Amino acid sequence: MRILKLQKKDLFPLLKVISREAELWAPTAKGDKFAYGRVLDFSRIAMDAVRTIIPPKKIMVPSLFNMFNFTEKGYQEDLSHVTDRILFGIHPCDIHGLLILDKLFSQAYLDPYYLEPRKKTLILGLSCLPDAYCFCKSTHTDIIEEGYDLFFTDLESYFLVWIGSSRGDDLIRLAPDFFDDKLTEKDIQTYTKWQEKRDNAFKTTVNFTRMPDLMELNYKAPFWEEVGAACLACGSCSMVCPTCNCYNVVDKLFLGNKPGKRLRHWDSCTLPEYSEVAGGENFREHKSQRLKLWYTHKLQAYVSKYGKPSCVGCGRCLVTCPVQIHVKSVADALEGHPVEAFWKKFAQEVSK
Amino acid sequence: MPKDKLKIGIYELTGCAGDALLIVDCEEELVNIFTAASIEAFLMAKSDNRHGELDVALVEGSVSTEKEKEELLDIRKRARVVVAIGGCACVGGPQAAFLDKKEWEKNLKKVYGNIEFSHSRPLQSKPIDAYIKVDCYLPGCPIGKAQFLSTFARMVNGNPPELFRFPVCVECKWHENDCLLNKDILCLGPLTLAGCGSVCPNFNVPCFGCWGPTEEANRTSEYYLLREKGFDTEVIKNRMANYSGTRITEFFEQFRKEKR
Ligand code: SF4
Ligand code: SF4
Ligand code: SF4
Ligand code: SF4
Repeated sequence: MRILKLQKKDLFPLLKVISREAELWAPTAKGDKFAYGRVLDFSRIAMDAVRTIIPPKKIMVPSLFNMFNFTEKGYQEDLSHVTDRILFGIHPCDIHGLLILDKLFSQAYLDPYYLEPRKKTLILGLSCLPDAYCFCKSTHTDIIEEGYDLFFTDLESYFLVWIGSSRGDDLIRLAPDFFDDKLTEKDIQTYTKWQEKRDNAFKTTVNFTRMPDLMELNYKAPFWEEVGAACLACGSCSMVCPTCNCYNVVDKLFLGNKPGKRLRHWDSCTLPEYSEVAGGENFREHKSQRLKLWYTHKLQAYVSKYGKPSCVGCGRCLVTCPVQIHVKSVADALEGHPVEAFWKKFAQEVSK
Repeated sequence: MPKDKLKIGIYELTGCAGDALLIVDCEEELVNIFTAASIEAFLMAKSDNRHGELDVALVEGSVSTEKEKEELLDIRKRARVVVAIGGCACVGGPQAAFLDKKEWEKNLKKVYGNIEFSHSRPLQSKPIDAYIKVDCYLPGCPIGKAQFLSTFARMVNGNPPELFRFPVCVECKWHENDCLLNKDILCLGPLTLAGCGSVCPNFNVPCFGCWGPTEEANRTSEYYLLREKGFDTEVIKNRMANYSGTRITEFFEQFRKEKR
């Protein structure tokens, strides 16, 4: 691993050089929030974005896209969302999110619709400071050891740039003059101070090592009924989660002998039709059962298979669920701590 | 593609005729609609309407007279598949919201006075599934072109329609909109069927519920949530009632019982 120094003023010129052959994608402002988008004007890059509304999974598998066109004679694959990209400004939690999706989309069979764009996307990570909802330190996804080509740590007037892959190294070679490979004692001190500051900045914590047992022990706990009663079954928690990967496939037909389209769109286990089978039977008719599945997957099942939770602590469910059912409030309930969330108040209100 | 063209009839009961009009308005596809199927009856578009056996009947509007009820029962007898199109046929429309039988009788008298109805006796407005079995519901006030055309194309190819059953929020998230409800704006997305492409929140306008309620619409939770955000009970009730037809009456009856 090599670490280089890049002056701040050289960032845009560098991006210009390396994005000649690929689309540059980065967080940009969307109202008072952020969203990944293709960037042509570098001044639009939101360097201070903590989290985007939707994680970068949307770049690999769009929320709704055409898999192939078909007629009575055969089909023709549509991989129009696959293109060379550079993803700049992605934080450690979201890089871990992609590493989890890599596993899930290459289990039993390789999913080309995810893996092809993934292969063609260079990952240029960027350091961040947590806001009140980030808890990636609890999920051990606050730092990265793999899954990036370059990683930029922002130290006020300059960046320290980690090279994480040979493809990253190739990028550096496109513009070697921007980089300085002589790090001073002071640079190291500045970096260590920054690390300390970041470590101490986390406001939200979740004790994940206790979660698998607590899920098991609380399988019949009454609070599942409470979250179930308040849940709007809106699917938002899954849409915004960087590790939620479920999808549905529908055929869209057109009049006038035009080819049909096989569409694929994001799905969520919190939606009623998700567990419905032919004949109308539903394995998880009640929202409490569906939420239990969601949290079993995040906090327990994935741990037993891969040794870590499938939550990367990005805080998106915390800021998104309208009734505040999220990893933090559910973890608090599992631990028997007092819960400050709408779903708890709602339970008290309706039982009056 | 089935060899014989499907025989399709399009009918209008009580409503604004918006759904039939939308079909007529599919200008560039109109020729395709009329060539892909044999349109047996469609009062708005043609005069030589036949009243025989049908493969599919598309029915717009709610039932609000004795005559319409007879007509609907007759359509059901003749059609293999009945599709309710639009909010009035699906859930009853605004004319079916909020009225109990007594209230309705009082209103009828107030509007029409003490008269003999010679043409057809009025009935309290109801969605069509109050009288017949409905095979499929195409929601919207009015229905959407894209959804209508793809549903129609599936039917003429012998496939059952496949519609979204989840709420607007899902499509809204697909469009990466910043949630309005979380900004304390009265958005009915969580209670409303998707299929519109979340057009309103895409332009920062809250969902008014025009696609009609989802099967599982959790009104109780959203009601309390909106109360907590400071909205007035009447405002919430009226907004929820707009496109929910008879469903809202059922909800508030249930709600009153729970509160007792
Ligand atoms: S469960 Fe919540 S905090 Fe964890 S990764 Fe998903 S959205 Fe982020
Ligand atoms: S838990 Fe929250 S975000 Fe998820 S489906 Fe329920 S209400 Fe929506
Ligand atoms: S803006 Fe409305 S439709 Fe969109 S996610 Fe929020 S509540 Fe749902
Ligand atoms: S009011 Fe709601 S259902 Fe109607 S078009 Fe707007 S977002 Fe869609």
